[in-house]
Amino acid sequence: MNSLRMALDSITEKKGRSFLTMLGIIIGVTAVLVLVAMVTGYNSDMTAYYEKLGVNKVTVELSWYDTSRAFDMVMPLCEYGNGELSDMVEGVTPDLSTRLPVQYDGAAVDSTAVYLGSDQYAACSNYILESGRDILPQEIENRSMVCVLGSYVADTLFPYTDPIGKTVAIGGYPFLVVGTYYQKDGGAEDSMDHMAAVPYTVNRALLRSDRVDSITVKVNSTKNVDTVMFRLELWLAEQIDGAVGEYSLADGNSAMAESNDEMTSLSVVLGGIASIALLVGGIGIMNIMLVTVTERTREIGIKKSIGAPRWEIIGQFLLEAGILSSLGGLVGIALGFAPSFWVRPCMG
Amino acid sequence: MSLIELKNVYKIYNEGRESQVNALDGVSLSIGKGEFVAIIGTSGSGKSTMMNILGCLDVPTRGDYLLDGQPVGEKSQRELSDLRSRRISFIFQGYNLIPSLKVWENVALPMTYQHIPLQERRERALEALQSVEILAKAENKPGQLSGGQQQRVAIARAIATRSPILMADEPTGALDSKTGAQVLELMRRLNAQGTTVILITHDNGIAAQADRTVRVMDGHIVHDSLWDGVLVPAEVRAS
Repeated sequence: MNSLRMALDSITEKKGRSFLTMLGIIIGVTAVLVLVAMVTGYNSDMTAYYEKLGVNKVTVELSWYDTSRAFDMVMPLCEYGNGELSDMVEGVTPDLSTRLPVQYDGAAVDSTAVYLGSDQYAACSNYILESGRDILPQEIENRSMVCVLGSYVADTLFPYTDPIGKTVAIGGYPFLVVGTYYQKDGGAEDSMDHMAAVPYTVNRALLRSDRVDSITVKVNSTKNVDTVMFRLELWLAEQIDGAVGEYSLADGNSAMAESNDEMTSLSVVLGGIASIALLVGGIGIMNIMLVTVTERTREIGIKKSIGAPRWEIIGQFLLEAGILSSLGGLVGIALGFAPSFWVRPCMG
Repeated sequence: MSLIELKNVYKIYNEGRESQVNALDGVSLSIGKGEFVAIIGTSGSGKSTMMNILGCLDVPTRGDYLLDGQPVGEKSQRELSDLRSRRISFIFQGYNLIPSLKVWENVALPMTYQHIPLQERRERALEALQSVEILAKAENKPGQLSGGQQQRVAIARAIATRSPILMADEPTGALDSKTGAQVLELMRRLNAQGTTVILITHDNGIAAQADRTVRVMDGHIVHDSLWDGVLVPAEVRAS
């Protein structure tokens, strides 16, 4: 008897038409949901990637006319970071890497990422020691041929035995395995676990160069990043003669912030496009309600003549449009959820 | 005081344009409480416009319409629908029942707009259906009823609202003479109980059943049976 029942009656009376009316809203809502979900998923993917790389890093970029001078800065910078700045700095390591095969007993892991780091390389790059020990400071000084293997390399070369104490060949040079790292990125061939860390002082052998372009300083907390950068700036200005050398500082968090900004604008753009689909759906409902009003002028006339107030009649049409929109929205939400279940495994 | 009073009422469509139509061209009419009046005229004479104005479905372009002594022209949309709800009931040639509602719900619908509780609505609807002898069909849809039965339901709807004025627009137009006579009889009964009945028709035979006939032509009242035997000045007749 009430408007709600009348609205439901007129919706169920013409099922086909009601469904077609809702279709626009269904597609619109589904599109918005799927697109926003995809962007959000990709965004959290990127955030996770940056977090694995390690946050709160300050990169000191160095350039000298004489390239070997930059290498000479590594040791003092390590000492400064671990000395005066030790309450804010977790580690300092040069950014040196190359891709070389790692071999053991006839087996080989090709193009392994070999990082030539300091004894604090693991802390700087978020690796955690699983077994054995890390590279020691004196091994850096002594140019010792020791290495710590990433989980992919260790698992591939030593499927049944303990790698600690074995000697592997990296780029043809013998290296003693002193430790292994925990898996941090899925452990597959294309992951960050396909790596080995060696003392940076073996650079002449592995890289055939003594060039260093940058040094990473890992800060213990985001709030300390600016202070550390300021202190480093002062220290570097004191150490480096501006006539022959240059330095610059970069905040690693800003790369992540940039990526976040990109994601935000991407989600606004895609969401906007999907909203147009939603808008078109809304216009569809508007259109069909207009037709319904024209069709039912007679019924409206009858109701007016028996004393129905204006809002009662308007209310009934609004209620009908509202029910159609909400039903369409609910179906759209259900349909929007469905793809997220098969998209998730696809995107990894 | 008259129940209904039109004072020099004009209803003009497309005013000022070439297609201007004076559907009502200065009409004055007064109807007292408890009268049974037939308004008679050919199509295009202005009788339907007159009904729309009398029934508060439309407002005059110029002139005054007093209902119970109160000017209708000054009322808001809301007050107008309230007036229709409480003071006036309609019967139409096309019955005008809502096809998706059951018979008793159709009869009870106007009472919803008067905020009468459901229980009372149902009781009054069934009572009204009883009085037009169609109670057995209360749970049917209008489409399952014959024309005469549907018109009786429409009358029951008017009875149930207990409004003092009943406006009937060609109520027998779609009915055969026998059921038409029954419908007219029902309206007579209502009139005898005190309802003011205004019957709009083009049929002289049906109009003759009313106590008073008012003939409309080209937007003017050309004859009112009240004038019969009364000396009416020539200029009043001409208006």
